[in-house]
Amino acid sequence: MSRQETNAPHPRKEPRLPGPLSLARLEEVFSDCVDFSKREVFLHGDSQRRATVCYIDGQARTERLNDYVLRPLAQDPMLASVPEGELFALLERGALYAQAAKRETEVDPVAFALINGSCALFLEGRDDCLVFPVATEEKRSVGEPENEPALKGARDSFVESLRTNTSLVRRRLRAPELKIREHIVGRQSLTPVDVLWIDGIADPDTVALLSERLDAIDIDGVEAAGNLEEYLVDSTRSPFPLLPFTQRPDRFCQGLLEGRVGLFADGIPLGWLLPGTIDQFFKTGQDRAYHWLVASALSLIRWLCALITLLVPGLYIALVTFHPEAIPPKLALSIVAAKQEVPFSTIFEVLIMLLAFEVIQEAGLRLPGPIGATVSILGGLVVGNAAVEAHIVSPAVLIAVAIAGVAGYTMPSQDFGNALRLWRFLLAILASVGGLTGLALGCAGLIYHLAGLESFGVPYLAPFTTGTRVPRGHPSLFRLPLPRMKWRDGPVRTQNRRNQR
Amino acid sequence: MKKHFTPLLTLCLLLSGCSGLPAAREMGDMALLRTLGVDPSPAGVAVTGSTGPRARGLQGDGEPALTLSADRESLSGACLAMQSQSDSFVFFGYVDQLLIGETLAEKGVRPVLDYFARDAELGLGAQLWLVRGATARDALSAGGDEGIDTRLETIQNDSKMGIANLTRTAGAVYTDLLELGSAYVPALSPAEGGDAVLAERGYGILKGDTLTGFLEGEPAKGLELLAGGPASDIIEVELPEGPVSVKVTSAHTKGRLAFQGDAPSGLTVTCKVETRLSEYRERPEGEVLERLRVEVERCERRRIETALEQLRAWGADCTGLGAGAGMFHPARWQAVRADWPEWFSQVPVEIQVEVKIR
Repeated sequence: MSRQETNAPHPRKEPRLPGPLSLARLEEVFSDCVDFSKREVFLHGDSQRRATVCYIDGQARTERLNDYVLRPLAQDPMLASVPEGELFALLERGALYAQAAKRETEVDPVAFALINGSCALFLEGRDDCLVFPVATEEKRSVGEPENEPALKGARDSFVESLRTNTSLVRRRLRAPELKIREHIVGRQSLTPVDVLWIDGIADPDTVALLSERLDAIDIDGVEAAGNLEEYLVDSTRSPFPLLPFTQRPDRFCQGLLEGRVGLFADGIPLGWLLPGTIDQFFKTGQDRAYHWLVASALSLIRWLCALITLLVPGLYIALVTFHPEAIPPKLALSIVAAKQEVPFSTIFEVLIMLLAFEVIQEAGLRLPGPIGATVSILGGLVVGNAAVEAHIVSPAVLIAVAIAGVAGYTMPSQDFGNALRLWRFLLAILASVGGLTGLALGCAGLIYHLAGLESFGVPYLAPFTTGTRVPRGHPSLFRLPLPRMKWRDGPVRTQNRRNQR
Repeated sequence: MKKHFTPLLTLCLLLSGCSGLPAAREMGDMALLRTLGVDPSPAGVAVTGSTGPRARGLQGDGEPALTLSADRESLSGACLAMQSQSDSFVFFGYVDQLLIGETLAEKGVRPVLDYFARDAELGLGAQLWLVRGATARDALSAGGDEGIDTRLETIQNDSKMGIANLTRTAGAVYTDLLELGSAYVPALSPAEGGDAVLAERGYGILKGDTLTGFLEGEPAKGLELLAGGPASDIIEVELPEGPVSVKVTSAHTKGRLAFQGDAPSGLTVTCKVETRLSEYRERPEGEVLERLRVEVERCERRRIETALEQLRAWGADCTGLGAGAGMFHPARWQAVRADWPEWFSQVPVEIQVEVKIR
């Protein structure tokens, strides 16, 4: 076989398990599966009338199986007395207590129904079967959103169960215009992925484009958020996130009301909102809960902190190494005094401290909670203080790096903060090559990069540009009083741009 | 286009050897000069620089001020020679006090100001002082281990609060010389007693770019009133009811030119002075207050008269009375502007002083 043939994607087999259904065939499909179970039952104790119930242990809920399927089969006298030819129809139309019953004749749908928690009922002498949903609902209960804590607002958060998540949304948005469309992604995982939007508000083109991209994903499984994000975004080369996500149902619903399209994947306890624009990564769930002046001030602080975390290390290198005349005299004198006994160059100091900061942060994250905190304290305070006292680093560098690091933690989006961390290194390196010139070139490069990004047809910098020629909602740096925020700013096009009278 | 942009930029930088980028210099080995003094010398020009007190490391004791001096034919030569006198890199970017010796000022300050304007590290934002009766090097030496930059900064801050002479930056003086043809510069000299190492000695008046003379005492106060600076001053008046002290809080002076044809026929100087009662036995009211106001007016008028008399004698309108008045008659002013110093000495001057006591 040639190398090209080996690397070529093999076509998806549809149906995956071809052929007619029979109990023997089903057993063959689930051979070597220890959790596949079957139970033979005499209908009302009549040994001449036998039924076989097949299910996957752990997927089907035992109580439901026993109470709603096996108990009626064993105890209902009608099942023993009804003529043989009508037995199957009787079971299908209500002899068993299940919300649904479906007759299947092919092996493929039955196999997947069992995996999803249904049971299959075979009658002796027949190859078709009835499928009853008895799936277990074991899942993590709805808890508080740990990454987006609420001081003044709802305290529920999404969980791993897709249907629970859609239900959390449906309970908040009771309008029947809320549409939920399901796609199956992943050849092996067959993960249900739901697209949510409000009909009449969201842009139908965005919904269609998202559905198209979801259908085009042909991967083994959806085990992490990246399995969807990296296949759905327009550009994977940018470290900046293009799909904002949230754990909070209230924030998710707000996104849908703004005309965005929502996305859930089974097994991932968060919801994405798209198209993603840069302002989405600076918003928190509390922005609409606080007074608009407070929310605006906090929003401005977050934007300012983004600049601080991005620029402070580079600016320090540029000023201390290339443009000392721009530093106020008294500060310059103290920097000179502090630098006199430090053996390393400023550039080396800053880059090493930035690296050390990342190492300490990563170590703190990977360790269990109490140990992580200890590592952070040891690394940040003790080692930092010792390094200054030993004249290995100057205190000004430590302060600059710490300010940049702490400012980065104000980013509501971890993904966006990570992108800023990467660019912080790049800008520091450029500043060490060309001072303020290098830093300015780096900033120009960053703006060029951001201006080139798009998310589902909407420019990433849409809040600050007029590229789409469509007026978009309201200011993004601060929040106006809610009665004055009359326009949706999600999609480029919407059939209903106004959100209030 | 996007594909080729980055490689093209990289290629340009590599080909240019990054020559357009600034050079790096660590601050740890820098000596930051804070004060620079310039005098004439047999070789050409004598430059003296002082760092002010320095710290050796974070916990180190303060080191004495580093004072460097060099005599060369040119300022740039002297500055370069100072580099070789120090273990550290001598950085001129923090020079914010410039002292010019009286002898050099008599010869001309223009070369010094030109050099400050053109040099990449130095700038015209430095405060300019004339050293009266001594050289700039003497003044710098008077500071000893502590240097004199602290004293100069104190005078500068006091001036902003209205309790010291008006201060001027090199840029402001340079601008006045170019636009008005004359300028006033605060003068200092090494103090003979007391804690202060430098004492205020009025103002030096530059005409063209050379020193014409000094104003001190009453004429200096008059110059401050004309310059419209916060000439804070205490005027003590002896009234029959007892002595009263009045503090001058602000002054605002305007000039108005009268013309006969295209020739100036008179200059009216109006000075509005705000004062505040500071000491008295009984608070002056009514007629007493009026008499006090008249006395203060007479005092301030005398100061302005003495200042103007001297300035007119030198033909140096360094406070820009003519230029300010000329804005009301732009066409006529253009005609007399070039000869204004001569006109300033000749036209009759009427002085109006309005004093308000609060």
